[in-house]
Amino acid sequence: MKIEDISKNTEQLVTIESKDLIPLPYPYDDPANEPLMKRLTDDQRMRYEASLDGIIAIGIPKPSSKEEEEVFVKKFLSGLEKLLTPENNWTFLQPLYHSLEYCVKCQICNDSCPAYLASGKKEIYRPTYRAEVLRRIINKYIKKRNKLLLRLTGSDIDLNWTLVARLGELAYRCTLCRKCAQVCPLGVDNGLISHEIRKIFSQKMGIAPKELHELGTMQQLKAGSSTGITPKALGNIIEFMEEEIEEKIGRKIKIPVDKEGAEILLIHNAGEFVSWPENTEAFAIIFDIAGIDWTLSSDLVGYDAVNYGVWYDDIQLARIAVKHAEIVKALKVKKINVGECGHAHKAMIVVADRILTGELNIPRESALPILADIVLNNRIKLDPERNNFPVTLHDPCNMVRLMGIVEPQRQILRKICPQFREMEPNGVDNYCCGGGSGFAIMQSMNFPDWRSAVSGRMKLKQILEVFHDVIGPDVKKYVCAPCSNCKGQIRDLFAYYNVFERCNIFYGGLVELIVNAMVDIKKPFIEWEWR
Amino acid sequence: MAKTTLGGIEIEIDEDGFIQEPEKWNQAIAEDLAKVEQAYPMTEEHWKVVNYLRDYYLKYEIAPPIRMLVKQTGFDLKKIYQLFPSGPAKGACKIAGLPKPTGCV
Repeated sequence: MKIEDISKNTEQLVTIESKDLIPLPYPYDDPANEPLMKRLTDDQRMRYEASLDGIIAIGIPKPSSKEEEEVFVKKFLSGLEKLLTPENNWTFLQPLYHSLEYCVKCQICNDSCPAYLASGKKEIYRPTYRAEVLRRIINKYIKKRNKLLLRLTGSDIDLNWTLVARLGELAYRCTLCRKCAQVCPLGVDNGLISHEIRKIFSQKMGIAPKELHELGTMQQLKAGSSTGITPKALGNIIEFMEEEIEEKIGRKIKIPVDKEGAEILLIHNAGEFVSWPENTEAFAIIFDIAGIDWTLSSDLVGYDAVNYGVWYDDIQLARIAVKHAEIVKALKVKKINVGECGHAHKAMIVVADRILTGELNIPRESALPILADIVLNNRIKLDPERNNFPVTLHDPCNMVRLMGIVEPQRQILRKICPQFREMEPNGVDNYCCGGGSGFAIMQSMNFPDWRSAVSGRMKLKQILEVFHDVIGPDVKKYVCAPCSNCKGQIRDLFAYYNVFERCNIFYGGLVELIVNAMVDIKKPFIEWEWR
Repeated sequence: MAKTTLGGIEIEIDEDGFIQEPEKWNQAIAEDLAKVEQAYPMTEEHWKVVNYLRDYYLKYEIAPPIRMLVKQTGFDLKKIYQLFPSGPAKGACKIAGLPKPTGCV
């Protein structure tokens, strides 16, 4: 398949078949037992663009007239033009320019991409594929290079509706894990290319996954959280958490809310409150016992660390980043501490640094180092024997590869989990969970099947490999994933392959393991109940 | 957005069958939704879960955390999956007329 095939009017560029997928270890080594990915209905195919790989992530409606097609292409092109100007793209122009101009097409990055590898090396998923499409469009339609020369050098491309629509979908086959950027000898970031294409679609064409935009950032700005939790609901949930904590540790804890001037504002991904409240409870227990001066916020947006804008839209990103900073300022706390949420680390701590200026640029930190400090300095009494089961660690891409927070979580696990074992590769060379960049919450049509069978496949392979000697259901095992998005993806991935029942592998965060090892609680904190 | 007939009235649903007009919800609609989610016929136990979710939603505009549901109804998760094979969110919440869960949940 060639780069220029993307604009050809073929029924479908690529088909994902079970036999092509990279094999999984025992007990998933028989391809005949691979779950069948849901096929689109005729109606879905008729209504939405599905000619890339038969999967729909965003659902771009098919045009009803030639004029509509032309408007669509024109908008894309003008968005692309803007993307290349410093006044419109001061946030990312420099790395974008670098990535477009400096790629020498050595293709080293391809073999690092989990989607490309897992799919059985389907051309379209190569990290360099979408970058080259974009580069050719720029050369021909924006820089207006000589067409004959482009044809002679084999770098021609035809811009049409089919290409733009497929490219839009293709930007959502990359989890922005940036493992490709990690291995590139020149620092080219093909993940950023996907990100920038998503930006054109959202900011210029008004197209973005509903879960990220309408029900994500828009709902967060309006209701206070992408989960729909309002300040009133938060109050009820916090009461519930306090009751639970008392039952579990036999002692009452008051969870501080809106405490002015506290040392730390702890901010969680609000999904934790709904799906994994044991995570937020564990944080409260640890901080309380360690004597940390901390608080939660009940202000709109102040109790939800998420910032989905980091995945698809700089404007939405900025709106939420500023809101977060204003809340900290109003509460007069010394700094923000981000809980176990990877993309919030990236948005709030790294990217927001280009947005928050002057007084708004308040100190922002990851919660992992302070947890390591508490555990390593014995500020809580812990007995590792209580965690005497095989544990492995998943590295959330944004905390680990992007920010280099590699050791704190490992120091903790080495100290409190006698059977801790590393996946290969790990640390900054990890594989994404397959749910990165919003995939874990995107539920459109047959996309959830794709993110289990394809983008999450390398992670499943790693998990099965690391536990190969204890893979049977007789031994309970734990995947520690200190990130809400990764947890959601691992949950769905495990459900798709029935991993919990078949292999007895459970998943959860880091703080749960710390509390589980506490000597003065009677019952284990981790309940090993699937959810 | 598609329209369908549930409990004898026309109502908007999303692509996963969650009703989009929560104020129109009634018992007949719940029972029709239960048929789709393999939770039919609805017993007293089904109603206990559905009514709890409904009441919580009317008060707080969201679904309660799953652990809260488990505690307040006295049914463990296994039991909830027996009652609602498609689970607490995609099954029970849908039947109770709640919107689809959003965010990193």
